[in-house]
Parts: sequence; structure tokens; C-alpha cells
Amino acid sequence: MIVSLKWLSSFIDLSGLSTEDIIDQMVRCGFEVESVEKIGEGTNLIVGEVLECKDHPNSDHLHVTKTDIGSEVLNIVCGAPNCRKGLKVIVAQVGAKLPGGEIKAGVIRGEASNGMLCSLKELGVPENLLSDDSPSQNGIEELDDRFNVGDTDILNKLGYEDTILDVSIYANRPDCLSMFAMAKEIGAILNRKVDLPEFDGKANIGEKSSFRLSSESKNCPHFLAKVVRNVTIKESPDWMKEHLRANGIKCINNLVDISNYVMLETGQPLHFYDLRTNPNLNITVKDDYEGKYTALDGIEYSIEKGDLMITSDDMPIGIAGIMGGDNTKILDDTTGLIIEAALFDHAQIRRTSNRLGLQTEAAARYAKGLEPLSQNKAVDRAVDLLIQCADANGFEETVEYGKPDYEPYEISESLSHLNTLIGKEYTMDEAVDVMHRLGFDCRVEGDMFITSIPSYRAMDLKIPEDIDEEIVRLTDFDDLTSTLPLMPQTVGKLSTAQKNRRVIRNLLTSHGFNETSNYTLVSDDYIKDALLPAGEAVAMVSPLSDARKYCRTSLMNSLLEALGYNLDHGNSNVKLFEISKVYAKDIEEERLGVLMEGNLMESKVKHLSIVSDFYVIKGIITEILSKMGYEMGRVAVKENSLDTVHFHPYQSAVLMMDNKLLGIFGKIHPVYAKSKKLDDVYYAEVMLDVVNNAKASKVKAPVISKYPSVSRDVSVLVRDDVKASDLINAIKKAGGNLVKSSKVFDVYQGEHIEEGYKSVSLNIVYENKEKTLKTEDVNPVHEAVVNAIMNKFDGRQR
Amino acid sequence: MLDLEKIKEEALTAIAGADSKVLEELRIEYLSKKGKIQGLMAQMRELSPEEKPLFGQKVNDLKNAVSAALEEKKESLEATLLNAKMESEKVDISLDAYTPEIGSLHPLTLVQQELEDIFIGMGYNVAEGPEVELDVYNFTKANTPEGHPARDMQDTFYVDANTLLRSQTTAIQMRELEKNADKLPIKVICPGKVYRRDDDDATHSHQFNQCEGLVVGENITVADLKGTLELMIREMFSKDAKIRFRPSYFPFTEPSFEVDMTCHICGGKGCPTCKGTGWIEILGSGMVHPNVLDMANIDSKKYTGFAFGVGLERVAMLKYGITDIRDLYANDVRFLNGFKR
Repeated sequence: MIVSLKWLSSFIDLSGLSTEDIIDQMVRCGFEVESVEKIGEGTNLIVGEVLECKDHPNSDHLHVTKTDIGSEVLNIVCGAPNCRKGLKVIVAQVGAKLPGGEIKAGVIRGEASNGMLCSLKELGVPENLLSDDSPSQNGIEELDDRFNVGDTDILNKLGYEDTILDVSIYANRPDCLSMFAMAKEIGAILNRKVDLPEFDGKANIGEKSSFRLSSESKNCPHFLAKVVRNVTIKESPDWMKEHLRANGIKCINNLVDISNYVMLETGQPLHFYDLRTNPNLNITVKDDYEGKYTALDGIEYSIEKGDLMITSDDMPIGIAGIMGGDNTKILDDTTGLIIEAALFDHAQIRRTSNRLGLQTEAAARYAKGLEPLSQNKAVDRAVDLLIQCADANGFEETVEYGKPDYEPYEISESLSHLNTLIGKEYTMDEAVDVMHRLGFDCRVEGDMFITSIPSYRAMDLKIPEDIDEEIVRLTDFDDLTSTLPLMPQTVGKLSTAQKNRRVIRNLLTSHGFNETSNYTLVSDDYIKDALLPAGEAVAMVSPLSDARKYCRTSLMNSLLEALGYNLDHGNSNVKLFEISKVYAKDIEEERLGVLMEGNLMESKVKHLSIVSDFYVIKGIITEILSKMGYEMGRVAVKENSLDTVHFHPYQSAVLMMDNKLLGIFGKIHPVYAKSKKLDDVYYAEVMLDVVNNAKASKVKAPVISKYPSVSRDVSVLVRDDVKASDLINAIKKAGGNLVKSSKVFDVYQGEHIEEGYKSVSLNIVYENKEKTLKTEDVNPVHEAVVNAIMNKFDGRQR
Repeated sequence: MLDLEKIKEEALTAIAGADSKVLEELRIEYLSKKGKIQGLMAQMRELSPEEKPLFGQKVNDLKNAVSAALEEKKESLEATLLNAKMESEKVDISLDAYTPEIGSLHPLTLVQQELEDIFIGMGYNVAEGPEVELDVYNFTKANTPEGHPARDMQDTFYVDANTLLRSQTTAIQMRELEKNADKLPIKVICPGKVYRRDDDDATHSHQFNQCEGLVVGENITVADLKGTLELMIREMFSKDAKIRFRPSYFPFTEPSFEVDMTCHICGGKGCPTCKGTGWIEILGSGMVHPNVLDMANIDSKKYTGFAFGVGLERVAMLKYGITDIRDLYANDVRFLNGFKR
């Protein structure tokens, strides 16, 4: 909402208040000021007359002038094309401070210049506030006879000295999209008297009317029309033009200007039809029109069923609430008109306006909602101004369809409820004073104060808490004492899923992984390319772009994209992870994605590095699981037959727990990696709901044997298809209870090893919890273990 | 007798000037079985029985003195040697260290965990809800029925007529109210991702995170809201921070407040971050609208509550001096590595 302080000051005495004071108080009372624009600024300005204007000897466009400012004649160089002898001009003297900077005496291409001849634009008047034929559009301002050489009151006299506030209005206060309501509000805020023009009942004049008015749509519940037989079209008075310009509205003629002006004042959009275009004097509002229609901006719009249209004799004459029609608009020779003031459904106007891409002041006000009595008020004011500024006469009585939806009502609030809700000790006088500042009638009955709500606040004041807000809003609230809720003790804690996230984050970050945050919305390509998708993708009805069309069904694409970004920016050894929900139709899953490239760890100082590979990603994932309480044994590692498009078929595996798929990990398939311009990348995706819903193992203190254990290494040649787990199972079986642990620590294939075989080195630890093992105890068992391997796997000891 | 004093003097002088090799030779020369001191014992035989004990005592003293001197010298030599060795091992403390590989939590996670910890400490639980949400929870139950102008304030991603990507974590609050209507009081915070149809630029993101808080019980006041938020802001930003309430509008609270905190950069004096005002807008809040409680089957005559909501991106940007919201979603490790703590 644009608020001109100059206009405002015609309703409220603002003396003694700086712009900053006013803004500060408005902000404290719930009206944020988006921007403050000073219109027409400049010190040291004086009216001058160009006595002499010659072409500059060293320039093809500059002029050298001698300009009389009364006290002296100044030499001033001017570049404006309209600069000429005899012109009365605005002179910014040396030292003048203009929006663009300070004016200094200087020499321009060899000619002394002691000041500047100004365009209004150079004095901070925005282009849209200038009339089309203003000399300032393309040159310096040309002053008329009102001005004399030596005058200094220039901008004010031109009507270009103002401060324009752009005030943001919350959705519950559409009434404030009217200057009168805004003035009332600011009066309440500043606690100053507000004087608004009196026009109540001005429209209650006119002869009997034969005008027929109806609505065929529930979305137009109230409509007023009034025929005015005679008007004189001419220029609007200066004050009206000034206020319209300040609001960025172009001045056309007094009739069009009045309709706009009344809208700014009352918030009710008005429309005037040329009386000649409606010879049969009838209007019907319809919502079933379909076809093209040219609005008064000359553009043709496609009207669909549902859009509200104003029609006469079944022909459209305007797009209701948004813009009038080209075929019925006020023309230069208009002599009579029909006033329209109607209520249209805000949601419908919003829909039509959005669809047509036609955002008008009228549509914006309808879309936000009107106060229930504004149609009547606007017609009163329009008649008032038509008489004042357009010599209007020959009125017919106002014709009405429907009724305004407003019955006077009261809200009762008790002081005790107010104080209990706020936690403050207001007195009854304070509460009632706020109601009076707002201009509300309010009476006290015991602990209760009962307030009559005027029509223009009916949209937001409905319950006692709304009244409480007014009191809080308009009294000093900074002294509210801080307290904490007094209530029964509650225990706050993280859920299992929330705790698990922290475990994962701690573990991965302590191994050098960076947590990422990626977008949920992804492209069609990502959905087609998803890894173990959660289900059928959820699509947006109207996506922002093709790249943000669906909710992702897996995390892998996002992490690969983040990897690509990092590699493109020269980062190496990239290790990323993300914990996020993924979505599909009726499905929500929480997943963990872990990605690594290059080295897990690298120390140039220590000349060492750990290169990422299958075993590293396996170790990271199994460590996470065991840290959450799901150690190997509960979790099974199986061959990956689920997805060999994204994963290397021989360097990947799936994780299972309780017969549910827990995750997949391994090396990204070389072909797939190449299609993404990547080299060796290792990735894991874990279904966290599976662990979050399973019971974690309990922590149990290990029993340390009092007796030393015996460690033996053995190297064997076995067929190359033998798995480590096969060997370890065989060892367990052959060695029985004595085997405390067995681990493969080296696997070798290549030179000196027969084709089809591999050399495996194992470390086996034997332990007896009851006694110290002697060599003779271990030897037979170890021998049995080695023999078992030999026999079972066609092995040979090395 | 002169012999004893002389030997002692000779021995101690020799020991004082010895290096470790000479010291060992001296030990043999004086203290071995065939050494000088043992040799003195031979003189015993020539002494009278009265003189014998005295002489024996003196020889013993000599032996002790020499062996103590030897031991002392040995220790001092060893210490010198060790010092020299250590000196030769001197490191350059300015040289680059071996640094363990430490990754980083995402700045949004840091902010969220900080909020979680503050509120868990005050007895709140951390509630979650679906991001693909029903319109009813996102809007209708939040006192924003179909056609309500406030639906306009947020351009929402719809999936179908009844389903959307939640545009506010208020949706989680509405679920919590419904779930716990018969288990009051409610004390939860509701962090999560939300989505709005905004084009991404330096200050807008179609995806962002909110954390809302909700307390419902008997006699909950605006003063309680203020105290709670003051505590939160002081924990998150600065222990001297002040907050102020400005009237605002949200459909689901009445009265509603925008909350400003004193600028954490300048402490309220005015600086570019706070555009010279000394205040920074940090969150929205208010008293739960009676309609919201009634819709959740909570008696609004008996119970009141407060709610607040803060944008995690906004907090992260203010706290860490991030100027472009897109940096939070680019996942550049050079950026992420700045958040190792």
C-alpha cells in the first residue's frame, strides 16, 4: 500500500513528527514499511531565467547560458535540448545537494559552469510521476508564470515534494488498502485526531431509475449501479492529480481520475461506463461467458467459464473486478455515465487475474477482500466528487442488487482474560483507551469491556483474542516481563531414529565425510535413473521447472550431482553423505547415502594414504551399523543381484537384516560412472527405517580371559572362487571352541601362483578360558584346522 | 692415615673431570676387588686391635664417598648425554602436522541440533511429520480454510487436490495437537524441510527448513512465549541479546508477533547487517488461535498455548555470515569444511 505523507497530512496533523518517527511507530504497531522514497529533493534551488543561450564552442550538444537568479547572473553550461533563451528554469546553485550528488563550480570543456539547470528527474521525481508531455521527460523543467526569478519554494509549489511509504499490509487487514482506513489506523497509532471528508449519504439523490440490475453468479452477492445523465469532462484538480501521481496512477481526465481516486480513498474499486454504450439500461453479472474479450488496455483476453463478466443485453461490457471493457469505456466526449460498485468473490477474482496475467489495483483489492459496506461508501464519495469536479447532475437513484453482508456486532472481552493470556497487568482504562483511539464504541460492565466493531474491521475482529491483539499492538509492549511456562514436568528426548542420525553423523564426520543437503525435487531423468526407488514417484501439479518436477525416490543421483560439482571445482578425495527422507506414492522412507572418491585418508607428511575401495565402503557401513547396535551377524552381506546397472557386478553387495533389504553398497559400475564423467566412485545407500524399527543389541561387557591366547599365522593356496567367509566357517568348524578369532589378512594372486588359485594368509587366535594353552594343546587343533582347509578347498600349504 | 685423605682427594678430582669411559676405569681403579681401596684393607693387619675399627670405619667412609661421587657423576653424565640427544631431536613446531581426516556436519544440521539440544533441555520433544502432506494439516487445521487470503501468501506445490509439499512445519504442529489432544500438556519442537514455489536466488530457495515450537497447557501466556524465545536467542546468538515483539499476522495465532533480536554483529548499535536499526527480524510467533485448538478437540476455554517458527537457513546465514542461500545447497566441500565444529 502506497502512503503519501503529503496526502496523509491532509487528514492528520503530522507536525513535530519526522518521517523516521512515523515509520518507527508504524513498524512497532504491525505495519512494516518496505521502502521510503523521497520525491522531489534538493537544497539551494532557485528560479532563474535564461538570458542568453549559445552553443558550446567545443561540443555539438552543450549550451552555454547566462542565467539570472535575481541576485546575480550565473554562467551555466547545460546539455538539455530544450534549453533556450527566455526560459524560466530551476537552478541548483553551487553547493546544492541533489539525489545524484552535490553541485560544484567547474569548467566544462573550457567554459565555466557555476550551477546546474535541472530536470525534475534530477530532483528525484520518478519518471512515472511525470506527465507524458512534461519537458522534464527529455530535458530541463520549464516553469510557468506562477514562478518568479529568485523564488525558492519550487518543488512544493509544483506538487512534487512528498515522501512515499510502501507499507506492507498483512492478509487480515485488507481494509488498510484504502487511504481513509490507513489514515484512521495511523491516527490510532500516533494517537492523533483524524479528519476525513464527510460524504455519508451523498448518493441518496436522484430520480426514479428504470435501470435493471441482476447477478447470475453467487460470486457477485452485492452490486450498486447509478446513472448520471450529465457530466463535464475536463482535467482533474491539481490536488487529485497530485495524489493519484503519488500512487503511481496516470491521470487521464476527471471522470477516470475520480473512479481511481475513490478506489484509493475507500478501497472499493469503482467502474464508470459511458452511458451511451448502455442504451437499454441494464447490467447482468454472469460467470458462464466463454470467448475473447478486449479490455480497455486494448488487449484481447480469453475468458473462460467461471470468470465473472459484466454484461448488458447479453453482451460483455467488462471483466468484473479486474478491468473495464474497451467497448464501454469513458471517451473524450463522454457526457453521461453509469457508476458501478460491486462485491465480487475474492478467490474468483484472484484466479481470473492470475490466469489472465492481469494484475490491476482493482483486482489486488478484490483478491484481498473488501470491507462489507465499501460499495455504499464508494458510491457516496463518487457522487460527491462528480458534483465537485465534473459538474454532475441528472442523477437517477442508486439501484441495488443484493445486500451488504454486515450486521453491527459487539465483542465482549474481560480484563482478566486479557491479562491471563498476555501475562501482563493492563488496567481497564488502558484497554478502553485503545478501543477509543481506534474509533470504536466501547462500554465497561464490571470486568468486561464490550466493543462495537465497525464494518471496516469486520474482516479481522471476530473473537476476544482479536481485541487483545489490538491492545497489545497499540500499547508499549517492550516492558512485558519474560517468564517460562509453569506446567507439569515433561521429559524431552530424541527418538531412536533421531539418535541414530546423530550416531551416523558423528561416525562419518570423524572419518572425514562432509554432510550435504540436497533438493528433494528432481527431474524426470533422476526418477528414471533412481537406485532402488522407493516406489512410483510423486509429481508436482505445476512444477517450477523440468528439473524440479518429482520428489526423489532415492538419494544416489543427488550425491553424484554433488560429487560432479566438487570435481568440476577442483576438489579431490570427495567424501559426502546425506540423511534424508525419500518419497513415493503413499510411501515415506528415510535413507542414508554415502559416497566416496579418491582416498579415504591421505597424509603427505606421513607418506601414506588409504585408497577408497570396496572394502573401505564396506567397513564404513558395517561400522555405522554396529555403532547403532546392529553388528555383523545380525546383518548379512549377500551377493548383489538387485542392481548391476549402477553397481559393478563383482564389487558390490547387498545388506539384509531380518529378511529385509537394509542397503546396497560397492563400486559404481564403470559404464555408469563413465556416463556421468566419473572414475572410481564407491557408494552405499542404507534404508534407515529398517534399523530404526528393529531392536538394537544391548551393550554387554566382554569377558577377558585370564589366560593368554596363542596366535598362529597360516598361508594356504586355495581355488580362487573360495570366499574368506568359507574359510573362516571351515576353521570354526574344525577348531571348535578353542578358536577365538580368525581373520584373513592377505590375499595374493599373480606371479608364482598357479592359474585358478590364490594365496590366502590367515591369522587364527586360539584361547581357552579355563587354562593357559600349551603348544601341545594348540598343535593338534591347528593341524586339524589346516587339514580341513586343504581337504575342503583343494588347498596347499605354502 | 695420610694415604686415606690423599686417595680420597685424588679420586674425587679424577671423578669430577672424567667422561663416561674414564669413569668406568676409575670405578675399577678404586672400587674393584683389586682396587686401591680394597688394597688399603691390607694395611689393617699392621694395625693394633684398637686402631683397627677406626681405620676400618675410615676406609668404609672413603669407599662410600668415592662410590657416591661415581654415581653422582654417572647420573650427571647421562643427563648431559640425554639432553644432547633430545636437542638433536628438536622438531619444527611450525611445520605442518599430520591432521586426522575430520569431516563436517551441514550448517543446517548444526543449527537444528543446537535448537534440539536447547529445547530438549527444557523438556520438549522433537516431532516430525511427512513432507508430502495433506492440505488439511498444512492449511485447514491451521485456521487457513480454502479461499483464505493467507493461502496466497505462500505459493504451494500441489501433488493433487488434497495433497501438497508442506509449505510450513505448522503441519507437524497440527498433527501433534491432534495426536496429543487428550495427553496435554504438549511441548514439542517441529524441525523439517518445507517447500514453496519461489525461484531460487540469493535470498530465496524453493526448499528450506523451519523449526517450529508449540506449547499447549493451562495458563500459558505471551510472557511465557517471550521468556522461552529470549532463552533460545541468547543460547543461539549472544547471552546479552534482547528481543522485542512486533504485532504481525499468522492465521493460526492470535495475537501474532514478529520477533526481532538485537543485532548480534553490532550489539544493537546499528551496522550494515541490521541496516542500521540495531534489530534483526528472526522469527514469527503468537498465541495458538482458539479455532486451531477447537479443531484439534482441545478446549480453548481451558487451555492456551504459544507457537513460534524460525527459518534454519536464516539462522545459519546470520550466525555464520552466509550471504547466498544457494551456498547451503551447492555442497561444495570447500564451503562445508568451514563447519568442522
